[in-house]
Amino acid sequence: MSNDYFKQTVAPRRESRLKAGIAYGGKVCQFAGSFGCDGKRKDGFRPCMERNERGFSQGSICLLLPALGTIGTLPDTAVLLHGAVGCGSSMHAVACNVRSGANARWGKPGDASWMSTAMNEVDVITGGEAKLARAIEEIDATRHPSTIIVVSGCIPGITGDDVEAVIANVQERVKAKVLPVHCEGFKTKIWATAYDAYYHAFGRHLFEKPDDAPELTGEERSMSVNLLNVSSMGRIDEAELERLLKMFGLKVNIFPVFAKPQDIWKVTRAALSISTCPTHDDYLLTHLQEKYNIPYVLRHMPIGIENTGIWLREIGKAVGKEHEVDIIIKHEERVLRKALEPFLPFFKGKRIFLSAGEYRTLATANLLVELGFEIAALRPFHHDEFAEVEYSKLVAHSKDFTLNIANCQPFEEANLLKKLKPDLFMGHLVGNSTASKLGIPTHTIYNIGLNYVGYKGVFELARRLYRHLRNPNFHRTLSVHAKLPYFDSWYAEDAFKFIKTAPEQEE
Amino acid sequence: MSENSSSRAFIERPRGSCALAGAMTTITALPRGIPILHAAPGCAGNAAWTQLGGGGLQVGGYCGSLSVACSNIQEREVVFGGDQRLREQIEHTFKVLDGDLYVIASGCVPAMIGDDVKAVASEFIDSGKPLIVASTSGFKGNTQLGYDLVLEAIARQFVKKGIKKHKGKVNLLGIVPNWDVFWRGNIVGVKQLLQSLGLEVNAYFSHEDTMAEIANSSAAELNIVVSGAYGILAARAYEEVHGIPWLSLPLPIGSAASAEFLKTVGHALGIPGNKINSQIHKAEDEYYHYVSTLSDCYSDMDLQRYAVIIGDANYAAALPRFLADDLGWLPELTVCTEDLDVAAQDRVKAAINVIESELRPELVFDSNTARLLEYLERRHPRYPEDNYYQDPLSPAIVIGSSLDRTFAASIGAAHLSVSFPVANRAVLDRGYTGYTGGLRLIEDLLGAIVLGR
Repeated sequence: MSNDYFKQTVAPRRESRLKAGIAYGGKVCQFAGSFGCDGKRKDGFRPCMERNERGFSQGSICLLLPALGTIGTLPDTAVLLHGAVGCGSSMHAVACNVRSGANARWGKPGDASWMSTAMNEVDVITGGEAKLARAIEEIDATRHPSTIIVVSGCIPGITGDDVEAVIANVQERVKAKVLPVHCEGFKTKIWATAYDAYYHAFGRHLFEKPDDAPELTGEERSMSVNLLNVSSMGRIDEAELERLLKMFGLKVNIFPVFAKPQDIWKVTRAALSISTCPTHDDYLLTHLQEKYNIPYVLRHMPIGIENTGIWLREIGKAVGKEHEVDIIIKHEERVLRKALEPFLPFFKGKRIFLSAGEYRTLATANLLVELGFEIAALRPFHHDEFAEVEYSKLVAHSKDFTLNIANCQPFEEANLLKKLKPDLFMGHLVGNSTASKLGIPTHTIYNIGLNYVGYKGVFELARRLYRHLRNPNFHRTLSVHAKLPYFDSWYAEDAFKFIKTAPEQEE
Repeated sequence: MSENSSSRAFIERPRGSCALAGAMTTITALPRGIPILHAAPGCAGNAAWTQLGGGGLQVGGYCGSLSVACSNIQEREVVFGGDQRLREQIEHTFKVLDGDLYVIASGCVPAMIGDDVKAVASEFIDSGKPLIVASTSGFKGNTQLGYDLVLEAIARQFVKKGIKKHKGKVNLLGIVPNWDVFWRGNIVGVKQLLQSLGLEVNAYFSHEDTMAEIANSSAAELNIVVSGAYGILAARAYEEVHGIPWLSLPLPIGSAASAEFLKTVGHALGIPGNKINSQIHKAEDEYYHYVSTLSDCYSDMDLQRYAVIIGDANYAAALPRFLADDLGWLPELTVCTEDLDVAAQDRVKAAINVIESELRPELVFDSNTARLLEYLERRHPRYPEDNYYQDPLSPAIVIGSSLDRTFAASIGAAHLSVSFPVANRAVLDRGYTGYTGGLRLIEDLLGAIVLGR
């Protein structure tokens, strides 16, 4: 894949770049078989086409939300939302994470800083370019941030505001570095495009070393690795990965959450980039390799025992420490497996249902299989080719189960949950209430503040799940009284009734 | 004094979301209400995440958060129009989502591409499903506007026309579900005041309300809007379509405000004065039965405070009076963080002006709270630093949102989150209206002061 993309002003949609899709319902073996996990590839057949869609749909999120989840954490930065007054009000949730995240990193709660151009009925007609320019100038003059990130929503995408031109023009007059992140929600169904959108902006605007910053020495560079975190991990998860990487003598540069904008250029001076999730990082890592010759480790997520080992091995190989890595893994696994022993009989055969970002869902499912759970169903938010390796692992270790690719769509989830009656549900943030109201104990699949990754993450997750399963009464009693908004007749229908499969296309 | 923000190039940390988000949560809060969003894919999630951040731990409802129906319009609809997607979405919503009123709330994108939402909705007139339309583009305004637009649509499109007025029946408007985090308790508190006068109350969002009663809300003899700013559009629509007069009163918090509220409403409805007074007497007797317990600690712990109030139009208007009259505190500055029209600003000012003049706080309308310290120093100037004797604004408390904690710490004040966002409290049915609500607020304010005791 060539990353000439960074020469364009806007990152491409993932539908085009990765043929990512959001609508599929069926069984995992059939699905995984389609790309050859079981060795029976049906050439050209892709069950989750990027053009599949739904004839009935429920609320979703757009790329703006995960984008703000990261951008909102950058210190000394003003996030200027260019859109209607509510566009990006999810910053209220980000603000909570900034508060606790800053406290965890620097011992002091932080305040997220954001503003909105609050485009009104007049701006919609006249366009918002003049207002945007004034807002940037005023924020620069009165708040003095090092960086102003202009995040544009749907409205400027329709009025045709030339945000790039406004910024280029204003930049000459303001001290802060100003950069645009394009998040017009109607332009992509794949909200993971968010990561590309801001990495794109960072790559185009923040990767040059400032003239007054001292260059890193060769030695500093040779031991420095980028560890990418787009805010799906809290400080506690970062610390576990740092602990493991430090055993190789590596110096870890965590990027981009809570990264000081003036230091972001250092990401181009590392010896290696390490991802924990291809859904997040492939776009940037390809760019760092092509433009800055930085190799990367991308394919696996350090969630689960086997996966953490694979992840470490890839890193060990990349830094020439294959021998050390074997010793580390052996030791870590031995200590962890012993610690897990008391929980395993309790987990054995319990059935789980997971729904969240594709890679996270699959890796967490693999972890739970390691703990003795059985998979009742998975609902990844989207599908692209990076996940094939993870499907292969699952198919090798698990019986066949229901697979539903869906950008949330709780009506499909409710239908499946009623039929499958799992023992435990793990969903994304703001994605657990359907299961909870059906009486199923729930645990959020990522919660920045809790530990999920690395060896410690396996143990901590097991500890928490044990606790949830020991007393699920909150959910049980709630289900007696709570009612979901669906007709009873809906539960008798095929959960995938409203999925419209696009006709196969010539590639 | 008004720091006019309509010409401002930006709003800092807007305390809420947009009209579409407000419409969505309002429809969710209605008894078995089903929101059908005609909007871009992120709008519902954005509203839900905003609730997650600032809603006092309340997210969603019967059909809320990501369960709402949404057309999730894409670039294809932007190019070719979204009418067909909406049509398909409505048709299928009727098969999946079970409710008593379906409300289409349309967002920015369909308005800009010229979708004819009303025309599409009218195709379903024979479906047997109650379906109405509210045009709630985010660029029209904030969450509270979304609340008003939905209730206006209900008044115009759903409520029965030409039914007989029913003596003693009133509708309650002005408390915005979710964006007033204490909405449930506040509605119940006002309802109890009205019921104490023998009135029958349709409050739209309380646990006892039903869609059938909302359909009959045109039988009310008076609409009571407990806000200077929210619910006014709906009240005007009721007046125009159903001939119901309306009263705008401040949110009645605590004893002094509740007494005045009961008198004003009672007189407007021709309730005998002795009946009103005996209710007030009974309620005050109970209120002070509890408050009197505080008299030792109020002195021993010196619990009188200066106060800075930062809030939406309802709290900015109502809290100063409660503090000045019920608690004997000194509200120095009240900042209303919303852009209000002149009439609404006047109503907020009038609510403040009932406070006797030497205790009246400075009132500022400004959505950008970055200038709080400046306003405060204008009111309470600092002495030169080398003065040995200082008269800072202390002891003080900031009653605002969770965004104001840093400001409170910067002036050495205690802090309580009351107005959105309320990130640091869990709220289910707590409310501050009426007599009982006043007691709750006293507990919470003093609780914030003695937290570290």
